[in-house]
Order: sequence, then C-alpha cells, then structure tokens
Amino acid sequence: MNIEQQIKDSLSQVALLANCQLIADINNDTVLLQSGLDSLGFAMLVAQLEEDLGIDPFSQMQIAVYPRTFGEFVGIYQQALKG
Amino acid sequence: MTKLVVVTGASRGLGLAICRQLLSAGYQVVALARTQSPELSALAARHATALSFVAADLSDLEAIAPLCTELVKQHGRPYALINNAAVGYDGVLATMHNSEINTLLNLNIQAPILLCKYLLRPMLLNQSGRIVNISSIIARTGFNGLSVYAASKAALEGFSKSLAREVGKAGITVNCVAPGYMQTDMTNSLQGEKLESIKRRSPLGRLATPDDAAGAVLYLLSEQASAVTGTTITVDAGSTA
Repeated sequence: MNIEQQIKDSLSQVALLANCQLIADINNDTVLLQSGLDSLGFAMLVAQLEEDLGIDPFSQMQIAVYPRTFGEFVGIYQQALKG
Repeated sequence: MTKLVVVTGASRGLGLAICRQLLSAGYQVVALARTQSPELSALAARHATALSFVAADLSDLEAIAPLCTELVKQHGRPYALINNAAVGYDGVLATMHNSEINTLLNLNIQAPILLCKYLLRPMLLNQSGRIVNISSIIARTGFNGLSVYAASKAALEGFSKSLAREVGKAGITVNCVAPGYMQTDMTNSLQGEKLESIKRRSPLGRLATPDDAAGAVLYLLSEQASAVTGTTITVDAGSTA
C-alpha cells in the first residue's frame, strides 16, 4: 500500500475513534483544518502513524512545521520515509 | 488485561512507595530512574514479571522522545504516567548557580511535559489514560530557599489543568498530587528545629509519609476517580490548612 493510501486509512480510523465526521473527498488540496478532524484528532493521526510506520517526522525536524493541506502532510511522511 | 503504569524517579522516596503500592494493587509497572537503588532491585526481585526497570536520565531532554517510543514498543500502550522525578536544590536565588536553575527546570518541568507529550499519544489511541504529576505544597506556599523549585511545581500545576482540558474528551484524566514535607532523601537537609516546627504546626502533629502520598496517586488511577481531572490532591497532614 502506498503511503498516501495508508495515511487516508489511518485518517478514517482515528476520525472514528475521535468521533469526527470527515468530509467526503479528501485530496491533496484539502485544507487539514477543513477535513473534519479536529486538532486532537490530528495528534491521534500522528500517534497512529508512528505506531504503524515507526516514524514521527515532526519530532525529527529541527524546526516546527505545520502542514496546511493533506498533500503537504503526505509529502512530509514521503520525505521522512525516503531519508 | 493488566494495566501498565510508567513511574519516573522510581528508585527512592515517593516514587518507590508508588511502585510498591501499584504492584500490590496488581498493576504492571515500568520504573524509570537514573540508577537502580537496592530497594528497587529488591522490589524487582519480588515482582520479576510485573516490574521492569529502565535506566533513564530525564535531564537529557533530547532522549525523551526515543525513550518513550522504545517503552511503548517494548511494553505496549501505557494506562498511566506518574511524573514523580524531580530535584529540589535548596539555596537562596541570589547565589544559586545558573546551571542549577537550568537543570532544575529541565528535570522538574520540561521533562514531565515531554513525557506527557509522547506517552499521551498511545493513551489517545486507547481513548483512556491517567496522568498524575507530582507537585508539592511549595507550589502554593512560600518557603525560604526553594523559589526555583516552587516555580517548577507551580508550572506543573498550571500545565496539568490546561492539559486536563485538552485531553478530557479522549477519556484521559490529568491531576496533581501535592505532598507536604515527607521524610525522604530529597528533604534530608531539613533537620532539627525546622523539622520539629513543621511537625508541630501540622494539625495531625506529624509529617505525611511517602505511603500517604502514594495512596492519593493510586486513588487517581482507580475507576472511582474517573470523574476527577484538572485538580490537585494535597497530602500534607494538614500543614497548609
């Protein structure tokens, strides 16, 4: 499974846990804060991905980075997995 | 399934008392400390399967994230975190060395914040968890020579209240236990007339013990405390009454 699909699956999983209603079509241009998941839900997504992929790219970065869109979020994981 | 509890500063004093009571109550314990004391070794020998000792220097803040990842990998998602490790340098501020101020703030406030950050995550995925931060009555009452220590404990209480609001909807409670003076290695310098005066002023005529404070921690981890969050339980034999 590619990383984008894996992140989408984890997103649905944590949305269910966090009791959040995701919007129907999440694509690269979707603004994260408008995806339906709240900020605690995103913390859960990062936690879930850390368990699944064994990485937390945000903690590994030297500076604080907050992706704005789903595409930027996926890009950060793609970059971290390459590195 | 047995509930896993991570305890910092577990080798002596209150941390050790908390580990003892957790084990008696049937919890699985991961005990963090810089070194394993003879008392903690003895406890580990009696509870070989339920107690795991992990050597960790929490003043090394960069090491906290990988430490937490490893703990979860080795032991699974924790039910609770008890932030007990702290240092209590005694001395007037005007002559306290800056390196000591730095070390104290790193260990007493930054390390617990980072431990909460990284061990909260698995609790969020479980949609349940307990965090207990060990404060002190010094967070709210003044004591000559403990200004920096007091700042760290007041910070921990403020942090706990806001974090309780942040994670409550994920079924996680965050509370503090604020012990008064206890006779532990940390308060060894408190002797003679000063110690007697604290005992005399207490309504109960004695000091609280590490076991008294550990009892409050166990309560906060119990089912009965599921509606208690964002608060501080003071265990000081009435000293601040």
